[in-house]
Amino acid sequence: MNLLTKTTAAALVAAAGATLGGQASAATICFAFQDLETEFWVAGHKAITTTLTEAGHTVIERNANEDANRQLEQVRDCIAQGVDGIIIIPQDGESAVTIVGEAQDADVPIAVFNRPPTDLSRGIIVVADNATIAEAATDYVVEEALAKASGDAKLNALIIVGDLGDPNAVGRKDGFYAAINKHADRFNVIEVASEWDAATALANLEAAVTATPDIDVMFTSSDFLFPTIRSVLEPRGMWKKTGEEGHIPLAGLDGDATACQLIKDGYVSATGVQDLYFEAESAMNAILAAIDAGETQPNQVIPDPGFALTQSNLAEREMDMWGCVLLSEGFLNK
Amino acid sequence: MSSLSARKSAPARTPAPSRRTLSDRATDLILSDYFVLYMSLAYVAALAPFLPTLLAPGNVVNVLSNMWPLLVVAIGQTFVLAIAGIDLSQGSVVALTSVVGAMLITTAADPSVLSKAPIWGVVVTEAGGPLAGMTGGILLAILAMLIVAALVGLLNGAAIAALNMPAFMVTLVSMITISAFAIWLTQSENIAQLPDPYVQLGKGDIVSVYIGAKAESQLPRREVYSFVTYAMVIALSVAVAAHILLNRTVFGRWVLSIGLNRKAAEISGVPVRRVIVAVYVISALCAAIGALLYSARLEAGRPTLGEGTFLLDVIGAAVIGGTSLFGGKAKIVWTFFGVLFFVLLSNTLNLMNLSSFQVDMVKGGVILGAALLDVLRTRLMRETRR
Repeated sequence: MNLLTKTTAAALVAAAGATLGGQASAATICFAFQDLETEFWVAGHKAITTTLTEAGHTVIERNANEDANRQLEQVRDCIAQGVDGIIIIPQDGESAVTIVGEAQDADVPIAVFNRPPTDLSRGIIVVADNATIAEAATDYVVEEALAKASGDAKLNALIIVGDLGDPNAVGRKDGFYAAINKHADRFNVIEVASEWDAATALANLEAAVTATPDIDVMFTSSDFLFPTIRSVLEPRGMWKKTGEEGHIPLAGLDGDATACQLIKDGYVSATGVQDLYFEAESAMNAILAAIDAGETQPNQVIPDPGFALTQSNLAEREMDMWGCVLLSEGFLNK
Repeated sequence: MSSLSARKSAPARTPAPSRRTLSDRATDLILSDYFVLYMSLAYVAALAPFLPTLLAPGNVVNVLSNMWPLLVVAIGQTFVLAIAGIDLSQGSVVALTSVVGAMLITTAADPSVLSKAPIWGVVVTEAGGPLAGMTGGILLAILAMLIVAALVGLLNGAAIAALNMPAFMVTLVSMITISAFAIWLTQSENIAQLPDPYVQLGKGDIVSVYIGAKAESQLPRREVYSFVTYAMVIALSVAVAAHILLNRTVFGRWVLSIGLNRKAAEISGVPVRRVIVAVYVISALCAAIGALLYSARLEAGRPTLGEGTFLLDVIGAAVIGGTSLFGGKAKIVWTFFGVLFFVLLSNTLNLMNLSSFQVDMVKGGVILGAALLDVLRTRLMRETRR
């Protein structure tokens, strides 16, 4: 048994077992994802496929390799194969709208996992409240930065923005600004584009830090960029633990194992947590319920409220974060 | 004499049919215009018993639907390969022209997404593009896409023909530059909210069919299949026009003669430079029409269209069809069959539930096989001519 079947799938099957096990018949589900580049997607993929398979359903997997056209063609192939339902992780919000429409026009129920379409009115959409989660994480580091600051000096806040074609990235950026704007007179904001690509983030962050070395607070729109941030800050002597001279209050969003380790080590102050297991379970339950009810065009938005794991609440809430669960099982040592 | 006429004359040089050996028949089959079609049919026949979905109407519709945009782009590449060139910039032209078209006709734009883009406020506003809602706006946008593509083709062609620069290098630089320009224009964002008539060009049906008895008063939509689509009409129109141009006109003969032997063509009075420029313009125009179909089916102009393995698909389909990488041998009908086989291949590999990485590895192997087959065909053709 691997780490996820021990904890993730076991917890999911136990929690969702009544629902999933209660399905009238085994269904064939097409699971079309855009890629498995980050810990979040890997863990989400594993949770969904393992749980569905263990519940007796057949899962047809399709990896579009970050190609929206290929994903559209793959979903069409799934529909032609006569699948009962579709779960997708789309490339972006626009292609999600097209693919949801394609499935619903063919009377196949579809659920969108985590990365929502730009139009939320069609399909089962499971999405984290990115803005609120990002705001909570940013609030924590903003307060930390203000507490460290001397007098009324203007501080530099840096945000690494995701691909703004992804509504998740837009929500996270909005959440960051909601927190910053509570102290608008105290912060200059530097935006660094990542396009959800580590190489792009590296190049742009290096340029930004070279231009403005005095960064007082930093927020990354995704935890998967922490290693990139470290590779930029460490050679410049800016990668410091909480309490050390020159520490930059750092926050992220996702809740992956790397972020958990960095919070424990003191390098990262906070991260917004998407409840991956809740989202995976909700997507599966909703699509299976629709299939059972013969509902071909279910439309529902299932919000994941999430929370922020911080240095302050680490002791109490550590095991509520999926990345810490993985970390406790040795994920980063594999 | 072109290789095409040599190919046609091959059977006449063989003895009477009753005395022809199995080897002669195999040679004829390999040299036949329809070799890839036969191969596709054999492939389907071999796999159909194991993949029941393969011949399901819904799957056939998917295969055809996936063919049309790829066919249009591959036709452009066929012209370039025919002169022993290569156009690596087609994917980036697809990206750029999809953005250009979309930014002109989008009916609304979200400032939170596009306000950082240089086109914001200049071309696109919250109310959409300058041609949004205008009568004939879509046609004007398509015209703009074609003009942009033609300019790119002109630059590529001029650099290759006039400056004698290697096509690989010129189009590689174009690919990188144009792709970056497309991404810069929108800051990597997609431009959605395209008008319905435009979207219909990529995914709209002209004729749909239902296969079965009239037993129900209401037909389930998933049992009504696209039959004739706008994309099909556009792609087949381009294919017919390209077929006439390449295989029925003096221009087409010039193209093939340049591919066979550029110096001989020059000595024979072929306007080589002008033809080369025209060929790269044709290639870019085909990429723009492909962009129209891709952006319409995806309902957005996307600066990342045509990235990844797109070129592998385009060049692979043309080469599998029989167009020679060495130039001088090309037919649009070959490209048609090549695209059919290539799309079939992707479709069947998906139906086998292989991962995208395995699919790409198999595709790469098939293209390599097609390139080896090209060598074999060329050798057989030479031997048949003797």
